[in-house]
Amino acid sequence: MASSKLRTINSTHILYGILILLFVTFSILSRDFLSAYNITSMLANIAYTGILTGSMALLMISGCIDLSVGGAIGLITSIMALLHNLTPPLPTWLILIIGLGSGVAFGTLNGLLVTRLRLNSIIVTLGTLSIAQGLAYVLTGGISVQMLEPVTAFIGLGNILRVPTAFLIFALFYAGIGILLARSKLGRKVYYIGLNERAANLAGVNIAGTRLWLFVISGFAVGLSSLILIGQSGVGMPQLGTGSEMEAITAALLGGVAFAGGKGTIPGILAGGLIIGVLYTGFTIIGVQWVQIQFFQGIILVLVVALYESRLTKGRRY
Amino acid sequence: MDNIDNKAKGAESQPNRPKGNFVSRSNTSGTLIALLAILVLGFGLLTKNFFTFVNLKAIVSEIPIFAVVGVGMTFVILIAGLDLSVGSVLGFSVICGVLFSNLGLPAWVVVIASVIVGGVLGFINGLLITKVGVNPVVTTLGMMAAARGADSWLALGVPLLKVGRVYDEKLLGFGRQYIPAGAPILPITLIYIVVIYLVAAYVLKYTRFGRNVYAVGANPYAAKLAGIKVDRIKLLAYVISGAMAGFGGMILLAQLGLGRNDAGTGVELQVITVCLLGGISLAGGRGNLFGVLVAVLIITVIENGMVQLQSVYGISYFWDRVAKGVVLLAAILIDHYRQNVRQKAVRIRQ
Repeated sequence: MASSKLRTINSTHILYGILILLFVTFSILSRDFLSAYNITSMLANIAYTGILTGSMALLMISGCIDLSVGGAIGLITSIMALLHNLTPPLPTWLILIIGLGSGVAFGTLNGLLVTRLRLNSIIVTLGTLSIAQGLAYVLTGGISVQMLEPVTAFIGLGNILRVPTAFLIFALFYAGIGILLARSKLGRKVYYIGLNERAANLAGVNIAGTRLWLFVISGFAVGLSSLILIGQSGVGMPQLGTGSEMEAITAALLGGVAFAGGKGTIPGILAGGLIIGVLYTGFTIIGVQWVQIQFFQGIILVLVVALYESRLTKGRRY
Repeated sequence: MDNIDNKAKGAESQPNRPKGNFVSRSNTSGTLIALLAILVLGFGLLTKNFFTFVNLKAIVSEIPIFAVVGVGMTFVILIAGLDLSVGSVLGFSVICGVLFSNLGLPAWVVVIASVIVGGVLGFINGLLITKVGVNPVVTTLGMMAAARGADSWLALGVPLLKVGRVYDEKLLGFGRQYIPAGAPILPITLIYIVVIYLVAAYVLKYTRFGRNVYAVGANPYAAKLAGIKVDRIKLLAYVISGAMAGFGGMILLAQLGLGRNDAGTGVELQVITVCLLGGISLAGGRGNLFGVLVAVLIITVIENGMVQLQSVYGISYFWDRVAKGVVLLAAILIDHYRQNVRQKAVRIRQ
């Protein structure tokens, strides 16, 4: 019947259908939507949450979560801006390395706490979120620190051959995690663990090691996002990145990642991030207020996931 | 297999003769009370204003929102769910409260109506989770965005709500009154907390509903086979959580005399922290309200103590967030360590 035909259309196809539909709708509603300026600024804006969505999705597929990304971004951008404002300022390349490095270090710390001590990732990252945010507030005194600087501005706002640099970083990151997830041993293990942790353990999969790597990747993504965000805003401050964990989780869920783990693909996740980005920009450009966007975002999220669930449970109900 | 299980059960049912050191022998409440005592003593010794009556009253006046919303969250986590929407539901009920009050409704109607509004939002959460089968985190994440969006939409759209002032003396008294009237000794919010905790603790421990909450959280399939209406219990837990968020919103509105659309932002993380610190297991079915109450006190004492430290020693107030994070991590580490020791003891006896 029709249902068997529907099965061959998977959720990713639906997501890209929605994306195209949104694109067409907004282009009809507003002449400015398809302008080169809007497209490039939209791509640059998608980059920062898009990168976080990617790393968050990897963790979620493996059955973990990282709630600390927003706090970590606040801490890292604060550190970078403060180093830039030292009386002989640190050279920019060193600041960039420190930024990325502290992201990786933070992710590793999360990963070690979760895997070595076998603690629940929600609680651990809730704790490190609080610690990172607190440290950022202590370091800056709660105010924003300026960092206007050509290299970070190029990363956040510049472009190469009219393609925004931030978007290029985003694309490279997705290519990287795409290969990792679909082609590498680590990627296979991520799905095994997410689908059935006990079975994976009995089959000899190194669960702790795999998850530790995913947290390191998450830390690296936080570092990249910090570089982009500090370039785009020109400041480092504790509040920067607040709430980005929720945006990333929303986009990943929209992209078909199962919260329970074991399900999700890179094209789907990419579509989830793009849909959120297009929705924000499109709604803003046709004059819808941010609060209304927020309202509809919540409803869309629940609707889409409810749709997934109903498709899933039709197949196997116990 | 049966044999081993029986032995393990036998070992666990003899809590009065445990092995191991002090930490592994104490229970969660013991650890928390010790932690609270250390913090109170530490702050008391380090700063001279900590033990003053005015300061103790300040601590008590900061408790109610976390304490009240924490009760609702406890029910939800006990059934192995999670409610990320409490902050937004609180904000929505605050805006509704301002609206009702400015429509000229009497204070008690405003309070009850706003609590019902919170309960209805919780009911929607519960329906989506139990009937449609959407993951609780996803549902409440959606509700978090939708409720916050709706309340900001209302607040920005209706001129009256832009300011959000409440003038009804009786409504303000709902969060500001003292008992006995006239003498500022016992804040009325403390009485709400005591009543709510006593009722909730009684319900959890001695009623069929409370027993079922634990059963559903510990093992939903077993609960279903035992004839418990799992969906109804879950639904009720979310309704309680929403209603408690609404009640917390009314206390906030009365204390501030001002209802803004961003009221309650971030409360969900604080409240979840409090519940986890209080020993409610995220896996469901384990933990009690007493731990939550002590955890609320711990978090508030840290907040207050940091202000005192800043005024005396000039240590930045912002360390409080770091301290809260460290306390949360320490609490789950101790809890984890204790479980390990217990499991080892069981294994050795086998």
